[in-house]
Amino acid sequence: MRPADGRPRRTGAAGALALGLTGLLTGLVVSLGGCRKEEAGPLLPGEYRSWDRTTDQVLDYPIPGHEDRGRRILINSTGTGAAASSESHRVSWEYPAGTIIIKEIFAGQEVREAEQPLMLTGMVKDPDHPQARGGWVWVVRDMTTGGEQIIDWEFCVDCHANANEPHPYGDRNEDNEFRDYVFFPYRPR
Amino acid sequence: MRPFVPVARKVNLIIVISLVVGIGGVIAYFAFSQNRSLTETTELNLTQQSDILHQSIKNAMLPGEAPIAVQLFTDVRLTNPAYEIVLYRSDGVEAFTDNATIEAVNGLFGYTAFEPKEVFPESRAVMTGDEYFRRAVDGRRNQLFQQSVDGKSFFTIYKPLLNLPKCSGCHGSSHTVRGVISIASDITPVVRQQRSNLAIAGVFFIAVVLVLTLLLSLYLQRILVRPVKHIGAVCEGVTRGDFDRRVAVRSRDEIGALGDTVNEMVQGLYERFQLSKFVSSSTLQSIRNREKGARTEMVLFFSDIRSFTSFSEAADPETVVDSLNRVLNVQTKIIHGNGGDVDKYVGDEIVAVFSGRKMEEQACLTALEIQNQISRNPDQYHGLQVGIGINRGEVILGMVGSEERADYTVIGDPVNTASRLCGAARPGMILVSENVFAAVEDRVRAKGPARIRVKGKEGAVNVYQLLALRRRPA
Repeated sequence: MRPADGRPRRTGAAGALALGLTGLLTGLVVSLGGCRKEEAGPLLPGEYRSWDRTTDQVLDYPIPGHEDRGRRILINSTGTGAAASSESHRVSWEYPAGTIIIKEIFAGQEVREAEQPLMLTGMVKDPDHPQARGGWVWVVRDMTTGGEQIIDWEFCVDCHANANEPHPYGDRNEDNEFRDYVFFPYRPR
Repeated sequence: MRPFVPVARKVNLIIVISLVVGIGGVIAYFAFSQNRSLTETTELNLTQQSDILHQSIKNAMLPGEAPIAVQLFTDVRLTNPAYEIVLYRSDGVEAFTDNATIEAVNGLFGYTAFEPKEVFPESRAVMTGDEYFRRAVDGRRNQLFQQSVDGKSFFTIYKPLLNLPKCSGCHGSSHTVRGVISIASDITPVVRQQRSNLAIAGVFFIAVVLVLTLLLSLYLQRILVRPVKHIGAVCEGVTRGDFDRRVAVRSRDEIGALGDTVNEMVQGLYERFQLSKFVSSSTLQSIRNREKGARTEMVLFFSDIRSFTSFSEAADPETVVDSLNRVLNVQTKIIHGNGGDVDKYVGDEIVAVFSGRKMEEQACLTALEIQNQISRNPDQYHGLQVGIGINRGEVILGMVGSEERADYTVIGDPVNTASRLCGAARPGMILVSENVFAAVEDRVRAKGPARIRVKGKEGAVNVYQLLALRRRPA
């Protein structure tokens, strides 16, 4: 039954309920707002073995992070188009977005051609990615489970930052080039 | 049967639940958000500070300047006593408190690159089984955690110091983590502030809920519960026959409208109640049953005051009305007392009906009682006397009249006969038809039969004069 003058009904219970609902809705909105979008698919492609290797050097010597396991590094075609520029007499390399560099980590020190790696560590150039460090997304894939993990803390980037200055690996970067975090840059043969 | 739960309690329950859920949710959300922000800000600050210290240590160590790093720790501790900074080796022993590292580096070089020290500060080690330390070393990532020590709260960050390529020149490449920087910050004031925030939010919540519950409860009592109770009391009064009370709710809402409706209903009930005094029981019954008309066997009872016209001409009007009402009243009471129903009053005449298994006996007893009562108290009735006629027969019982005004009454030949018997009865006399007499013969003393002519009947009919009740054998 509505009042003759058409005024809306106002009761304390309704007001209290409205208040309660507002509180619940606020909580809901906040909770939903806090949800993050899930990643879409793996970052490292399965068909990478046809890619070029960045170095022919046998990577079987121990290094921090990979200890004494054998390694092999491959780069996709986007990455082979890395461009160099010179600023203040310093050569600076920059890999285009979409570059993927995959380092295969094998069980033993010796690497056999057909052997499947134990794990993959990858660098995906995507400066806009929220978990990118130094413009790269650092990824580890466990080949046993197939699961990928983005390493969004210092571990990978801290070490690879050494590639941008003289270091003990490969050509040692004695010219102090900015190598865009890559120890073994691809050079056309 | 479910127990009676007052609406006031239900309303109060709704209010309390709504307020607790609503306001409690909002206050809890903001209180915990504030505390979370406080925690996150503290964590962020500590992480940033640990990053800076990490870079400082790294840069001091690269040129082999370990004493600079040690001095940095000492200076930071002196500057801010709330900080406890320690660099542990990956085996959990505090760095720079022995010559182990120097000896390892010199061993790698094959010569004494760094001179061993002779004086060391007091050594500390991480607690055995420190899970956070193990995770920092094995997982190679920061560990931030809160702990209480001696009644104080600390945020501690374990930050692994990696064996970077440029470190491996001195320390070799056989390991990934060189050590762990531990920075513990005393956050006791922050924790105290958080507890205070929760306590204030709790007190505020309780106060707001109590005040709002009280106000809303009072408001609802005024606009809803009290009017409903008042309406209920009026309705309850009506069931007891109290038609004088009215609902005094003047609010312009559903409750006010309900009050008006109830008032109209009470007024209508009151009018119907008053009108029912002027309507016979059988009429009311037929109205309830929405009866249209039916043939039924009944005893017709007619009583008429003798010489009333001459009496009314001689006496003053007040005496006439008073005397008439007295005679009619005593007769009506006796009729009702014996299970009869007054069909109508026609001037000084009463038309009554009796039905049921003993209707003849009830009608005769009624007549004898009336004559007895009036004859014994002549002064009370100003000497007025009645003549009574009783007959039994099948009559038509139904609503007779127009749409605007109708009576539920009996019609038929037995009615006319009873009326004629009444007309033939002299003052104080009771005349009954033959069929009525046959039914009560063993209960009464009577004279007759006498034959009288009745209008509408071709021949004379047998009638009996009732004299008194027959005494029952002892």
